Amino acid sequence: MITGDVGTGKTALSQRFGTDITHEANTRGIKLRYVHVNCREYRGSLFLILQHVVTVFHPNFPKRGYSAEELLNVLIQVLDEEKTHTILSLDEFDSFVEKEGGEAVYKLTRLQEMRQNKPQRLSLICVLRDPETLKQLDASTRSTLQSNIISLQKYSKQELVDIIKDRMPLAFKPFAVPDESVGLVAELAFSESGNARFGIELLWRAGKYADADNLDTVIPECVRKAASSIIPAVRKNELSILNLHEKLFLLAIARLFKQNQKATISLAEAEKAYAVVCEEVGAAPNSHTQLWKYLKDFSKLGITDTEVSGTGSRGRSTGISLPRTPANELEKELGMLLDKEFKET
Amino acid sequence: MNVEDVFSSRLRMKILKILYAVGELNVSDFARRLKVNYASTSKHLKILEEEGILQHKMFGRICLYRYNEQSAKAKAVQTLIEVWEKQNKN
Repeated sequence: MITGDVGTGKTALSQRFGTDITHEANTRGIKLRYVHVNCREYRGSLFLILQHVVTVFHPNFPKRGYSAEELLNVLIQVLDEEKTHTILSLDEFDSFVEKEGGEAVYKLTRLQEMRQNKPQRLSLICVLRDPETLKQLDASTRSTLQSNIISLQKYSKQELVDIIKDRMPLAFKPFAVPDESVGLVAELAFSESGNARFGIELLWRAGKYADADNLDTVIPECVRKAASSIIPAVRKNELSILNLHEKLFLLAIARLFKQNQKATISLAEAEKAYAVVCEEVGAAPNSHTQLWKYLKDFSKLGITDTEVSGTGSRGRSTGISLPRTPANELEKELGMLLDKEFKET
Repeated sequence: MNVEDVFSSRLRMKILKILYAVGELNVSDFARRLKVNYASTSKHLKILEEEGILQHKMFGRICLYRYNEQSAKAKAVQTLIEVWEKQNKN
């Protein structure tokens, strides 16, 4: 199990380990596959996750007509027949636990007990932010998972400086980023809970501002400009894994906030704006209940905040606010992602 | 079966072409791509299997068809399709 805050290198560590161990296994003539799955991308569903793993080996495996349990047996059969070992890395493991609960985790972790004297074909790496999530699981499942924990600490300022300096030559000419700008990037990333990914994105954006201003070097002012425009709470990959209607709904919310200077909008207003966005792209809008569920997910991701009005007005209404994210940046980012999505389909 | 009987069916030829492109497939997906019913698809797959050109593998309740790797006939059919497709592209 790998735990740690946002941007502390959990995913990078797991993937690096996957690459290294696959290489090592190949040199020893052992067949091994490392499969990295972002559980949130598969809505935390055991069925969808296992289906993805099976399609690594059989790309045309049918998508329907069986249960998750059957799929688990299929996977083991495939691995046995191909004499292959698989390391399955379950990134954003929190969403898996939340969706499937203890039963599914138990099945995955205790798989080997059902097939004693046979080679262990499936090993797990669980990547999650907060180990507190595991409290939802029963004691026996927890004990299996918690036997081997790597807890990644927030990066220090000096470590962030080292990371940024290591990445710099990949994108910038020598001496293009002065030390004071690197220091400022590290400082800002450190204040964003030591998030290295945030720092790297900030540096990239500062470079774009320097280009736009025809500057030879990335001066601290470029970093400041970048910091005021960046979406700190919402990482780009979190937006990209939203489904089509989540993106459309969020785009509608961003547009509403951009158009009027209100601090809060109502769910009813957001629904109307969403209907307009759906009409623009020719999609049938989702129901009120579904939108309400999306809103709950946005809150969990830290994109929006919601508040249900109490007494004083007739009935109850949901207020939506966008406290941490510039609306125009969010609109731009979603616009790009949707364009890409429509081009692909 | 004589070679002319095996290849006289348009559906069987389409099955062989699809399989050449995708590697393996289950009966329902074949039927969907061929736009014919399950029973008819299954019948033609069985004929090709009896001829030793195809083989099937069970994964629980799921049955996937693919070319029979041990069969000289299967290799010959795949070569035929490969050459045909290449010539048509040029």
